[in-house]
Amino acid sequence: MLEIKKLVKRYGKGSPVLQDLDLVVQGEQVMSIIGSSGAGKSTLLRCVNRLVEPTSGSITLNGTDFTTLSSRELRSARRRVGMVFQGYNLVDRLTVMENVQSGRLGYISTWAALTRRFPKEDIQRAYELMERVGIAQYASKRADELSGGERQRVGVVRALMQRPEILLADEPTASLDPKTSEQIMALLRDLASELNLPVIINIHNVNEAKEYSDRIVGMRYGRIIFDDVPSALDTAQMDEIYSGTPSEDREAQGAMA
Amino acid sequence: MTAHPDRWRKPHMIESPLLRYALYFGILAYLVLTIATLPIDWLRAAEGLERAGRIFNGAFPPSFDRSELLISGFLESLKIAIIASTGGMLLSIPLAFMAASNISPKPIYYLGRGTIIIARSFHPVIVAIIFVKAVGFGPLAGALTLIVYSIGFVAKLLAERIEEIDFGQVEAVRAAGAPFLSTVFYTIFPQIMPRMIGLGIYQLDSNLRASAVVGIVGAGGIGSTLANAFGRYDYDFALAITMVIVGAILISEAVSGVIRKRLL
Repeated sequence: MLEIKKLVKRYGKGSPVLQDLDLVVQGEQVMSIIGSSGAGKSTLLRCVNRLVEPTSGSITLNGTDFTTLSSRELRSARRRVGMVFQGYNLVDRLTVMENVQSGRLGYISTWAALTRRFPKEDIQRAYELMERVGIAQYASKRADELSGGERQRVGVVRALMQRPEILLADEPTASLDPKTSEQIMALLRDLASELNLPVIINIHNVNEAKEYSDRIVGMRYGRIIFDDVPSALDTAQMDEIYSGTPSEDREAQGAMA
Repeated sequence: MTAHPDRWRKPHMIESPLLRYALYFGILAYLVLTIATLPIDWLRAAEGLERAGRIFNGAFPPSFDRSELLISGFLESLKIAIIASTGGMLLSIPLAFMAASNISPKPIYYLGRGTIIIARSFHPVIVAIIFVKAVGFGPLAGALTLIVYSIGFVAKLLAERIEEIDFGQVEAVRAAGAPFLSTVFYTIFPQIMPRMIGLGIYQLDSNLRASAVVGIVGAGGIGSTLANAFGRYDYDFALAITMVIVGAILISEAVSGVIRKRLL
């Protein structure tokens, strides 16, 4: 279970990007976060594994408060959180297998990593997962030889190699064509139930969000203003989530203060 | 319908015409003044021309009589270049990481940048004079000089390449909980590898050339052989040495060109 309490993130001295945000995610549900650019979706996701350092508040994953960890403890805690990125973030010049195994780097020594001596069970697990998502035949190919959809599958497998307790996906389909995008969304949904894994997806495509998730959270200017099942999301609420721009919101807040 | 202008001019870089023309005039005036005030003795230059004629007369035909000396000098230069390139690369890599602002914390960054700036600030000939004084005549001084020279060049360019990497790859592996060195080996090295190999090949080439120059001040190699030949008025031997240097550099340029093309 992921429990976020009173999370605040402020860059520099500006007004906060996340404002007293509370959120609980449990079970194997797929949760999509929607909201216009600048609403704080990406910041929220990155605060969970502290790629972005939260200003205040707490983030607890299955009993561990991530916000109080030392940098050494954070490193081992990060192994429990898988992440999938918009631009895939694969190492282009390495093979697919090396990319996939980089999800296990937190478990093996630097020397083993450098000499590519991966544990037998990791290699087996990699083939198993690659076969599940349909990329096993590319194991020895360089990552930059693959198509967008295939590359994102490598990204998903890399995250799953961590045997994560939760999977975060930051706009995983934004760089893909509509059809491939749906395939990746379906894959994330199926994997969530197969692996008993809660998945949080930042997404711009509301139709896909509605179709593939169990729960939708709508964010606007650092706050959650909608949190319900997909069928409850109607046009009026959509308008509220997407109306205005962050800068207008900022001005409105400034006028109030 | 309003009439739109049919002429457009690119705005000048310096907007004020007064400032612009003042600058043009200033540069021109300085140039004229410099040439007018430099102490150039044309009479002496004319006399020197005669001497140059004598040297060239003595240089033809080039003499390969003492080719043993030539070959041993050249081989020494080659050894200096190889040692300096290897040593320079090995020292440049950690230094480049220190001097990359996106990887290093501020104090280490300044230390790295500072070291590179110091290594860059002196011409190899000056560094060679210092090393010859410090460790004596011979190839050791040459190798040390060219190591410093290599660091100044390779570490700087490599650091700039590290600053240009796609940081998303680093972030992804860091998010998986990878330790620092594993992250470096898996995400940064693959990205900078082509540049590193290219720089290594270029540096070998460039060190071979520079080893001839630093040899003249006593740092070993073919440059020392050349300096000796001049000292003894053996202009024909000196020409032979010069021809070998030019030939060797042509060959190394061609080879490194081919390798770089194949590799990258």
